[in-house]
Amino acid sequence: MALLFGIILTSCDSDIDTGEFVVGSDNLSVNNRVILIDTATVEVSTINFDSLVTSGQSRILLGTYNDPIFGKVTSDSYFQLSSSSYNLQTTSSDTEGANYVFDSIRMVLLPDKYYYGDTTQVQSISIHRLLQKVKQNAENDDNFYNNSSLDYDPVSLGSTSFTSKPIRQDSVFVKLDDAFGDAFFQKLKKREIVTTEEFVEYFKGLVIRSTSANSSGVMGYQISSMLQLYYSKKVTDSKTSILKEFTIDDVSKQFNRVSLDRTGTIIKDLPGTTERLSSDLTENKSFIQSGTGLACRIDFPNIKELKYITQKGAIIDAQLIIRPVNNTYSKTYPLVDSLNIYVADQLNRLSGTLNSASGNAIYATLNKASDEFGENIGYSIPLGTFMQNEMTKQSDSRSALILTIPTISKGVERVVLGNQKNTGNKVQLKIYYISY
Amino acid sequence: MKNKITIILFLILVSFSSFSQSLSSSPYSIYGLGSLYESDFGSLPAMGSAGIALPSNRFINNLNPASLGFMYQNHFLFDVGGNAIQTSYQDVSRKESRNNVQFSHVAFAFPVTSKSGLSVALRPYSSAGFKISDYKLPIQDSNEEYTLNVTGTGGLNNFDISYGYRVGKKLALGLSTSILFGTIKDASEYLTSNSLTNIDKESTYNGARISLGGQFKVDSTFTIGVNLKSPAKINATKVQSVTTYNADLNASNTIESEVHSDIDDYYLPFEFAVGLNKQFKNNLSLSMDYEKAFWQGTDQADIYGNYLNQEKFKLGLSYRKDHNLRTYFDRIQFSTGLNYDTGYLELGNKRIENKAISIGVALPIENTYSVLNVSYSYGQRGRISSGLIKENYHKISLNLSLDGIWFVKRKFE
Repeated sequence: MALLFGIILTSCDSDIDTGEFVVGSDNLSVNNRVILIDTATVEVSTINFDSLVTSGQSRILLGTYNDPIFGKVTSDSYFQLSSSSYNLQTTSSDTEGANYVFDSIRMVLLPDKYYYGDTTQVQSISIHRLLQKVKQNAENDDNFYNNSSLDYDPVSLGSTSFTSKPIRQDSVFVKLDDAFGDAFFQKLKKREIVTTEEFVEYFKGLVIRSTSANSSGVMGYQISSMLQLYYSKKVTDSKTSILKEFTIDDVSKQFNRVSLDRTGTIIKDLPGTTERLSSDLTENKSFIQSGTGLACRIDFPNIKELKYITQKGAIIDAQLIIRPVNNTYSKTYPLVDSLNIYVADQLNRLSGTLNSASGNAIYATLNKASDEFGENIGYSIPLGTFMQNEMTKQSDSRSALILTIPTISKGVERVVLGNQKNTGNKVQLKIYYISY
Repeated sequence: MKNKITIILFLILVSFSSFSQSLSSSPYSIYGLGSLYESDFGSLPAMGSAGIALPSNRFINNLNPASLGFMYQNHFLFDVGGNAIQTSYQDVSRKESRNNVQFSHVAFAFPVTSKSGLSVALRPYSSAGFKISDYKLPIQDSNEEYTLNVTGTGGLNNFDISYGYRVGKKLALGLSTSILFGTIKDASEYLTSNSLTNIDKESTYNGARISLGGQFKVDSTFTIGVNLKSPAKINATKVQSVTTYNADLNASNTIESEVHSDIDDYYLPFEFAVGLNKQFKNNLSLSMDYEKAFWQGTDQADIYGNYLNQEKFKLGLSYRKDHNLRTYFDRIQFSTGLNYDTGYLELGNKRIENKAISIGVALPIENTYSVLNVSYSYGQRGRISSGLIKENYHKISLNLSLDGIWFVKRKFE
């Protein structure tokens, strides 16, 4: 008898419930439910970083164009040149330096495949000698910014106009003034310059200015672009041409000045660095432009109120889709594939990139799946963790997101994004919320 | 006799250890405190659980504490039981069977004086055993869905001490104090297209309720009984951990970890039960009970589901040869019964009803009142309709009702 009960009571190997039967589904969602919130306010504005570091970017950025939305963009490039040796002799045994004669001097620009705008148009550049060394006056700051400039000789050493083929990478040659070249040559020939210090003292550097009158585009050139000095040895009648090259050895001594003339555009009234221009005032659009420092700022003013939707709730996932405005991009002004995301305070001070749990930066990636109206094109940003943290953090301060284009310091791409009131290309925030 | 005591102690130990296990599984047990558990003693399961008017003379009648007033002198009663249930679950499109073996109860009772008796019993009150896999639910305010996986285990136990006192020869009154306690564990997974949220909840319940019973012998063959159960508040607290994982961000986030909090208390309603028992020709016994539980007035929180007043109708019949007991067969009691329960849970505007028929035998052990009750019942619960399922169950109950003589207890003293 006891055995019988023992078996019953101890061998409770009841069958496993596979969970296929569910009753009263309406009631199931009462306890814990998942809600989609897509009505939270998203404030979109444009900010203006007035100083982007453009030195040390290893790109000579040249060109100018009239952007139909943003205004006139111009990029000039400043740099210091140097050489490994200032000796004209090709061998140590060569003692016939006196026989060298100057032939020519030219700037060779090597395209680096970067371009933006209409590069089928003729571009014009003009090269000038710097009157100031490429050196910052400030004590602790060796950087040059997109708005930095140095004095230069208004007399051009040489200029050219060309139709670029950035993909074919045809080099651009600019013949420089012979008088300048000969004087330069004589200094070397007479051994008046033997060190880089002496060289830089004499020849502080060059600025290449973009002087196209008509709208065209902006191109990038390699940092290995060089100044070539040709000279020859007059011993016999047969001339042997010798080449001396001067290059940008120190990339921190090269920077691009990128300026934007916004006169007459809808962003003509951009405020200072610490403020923002609401997209409500700019046709429900926000503007990002590399090189000139325009960035999109996104605020979530009501995020903390989500706490009160239910007694206890958490944001389990969130996605922000911010859309480029129709007819603001084209083959000439293509969309970039991704945007950088920074976290900023109320004064646009960045605390760093928006990172995933593993510490990797999160990007806003472009969904290119196009439909008839271009409504599906948008940059999506996974914001689950950010939103949960913003909702639950104790302090009153709210963080904002700042979107920039990855080439911010070395390009001129731009994008126009819609806000919540933009009819065709509305920014959309989807928050998945669970009450528990 | 010593062996028997050893067996009894062994059974008690085993019984207690089985309490921790999930008792039954039913999709309906996701609501409230789980499915309420019918664990009746002795031959009651065979008689449709009818017996408000039955005395506690040959077995412990758990339906009415007043029955202890009619205990036989010098008898010590012990009852332990278990069930084996095969249930088939059926909805509009599927059918599935599962077997389940469960502990039912352990109890003992003894007379205190010639006019009074005391019983102590431990049995399940409710059991939550449910599982939901890959169930799609709409995300509120969207066209999207999420997937729910839930596993629930646990239930409440009922420990009660009952006392019955006989006033004169015909009337007995009883009082029972029940302590309800237990935990229900609930592990849920919520899957959206891009996130997984785990909510692990352990809810602990405890509360007490009092029952008052009465039995009146109208004549030597006719008894009426009544039992009133007080409303009660079952205090509820929970310990919960919530973690989420976001696939896009590859981020795990602990929302809360082992957080203790109060949850909505659960309320048991006022219940009453009336019943009668009539003996015919000294060998046929008819019991009829009616019970009503006023769940509608409990105003349960939404999380427990939607409740209606519950009614139960029970009918039981037993036969035992009264004299000329020549063979073992002559001493067997045969029983049968019907049980209809309107249920108290309403889902999708439909009551979850339960109906069962039962038959059983009480097989005597040695020359005492000790018997092994074997009963079989077939029942149906719920219905097939959208969002509901029907459970058809075959249940075999084994209740061992042991009868010891009073001096056995004295040995302990």
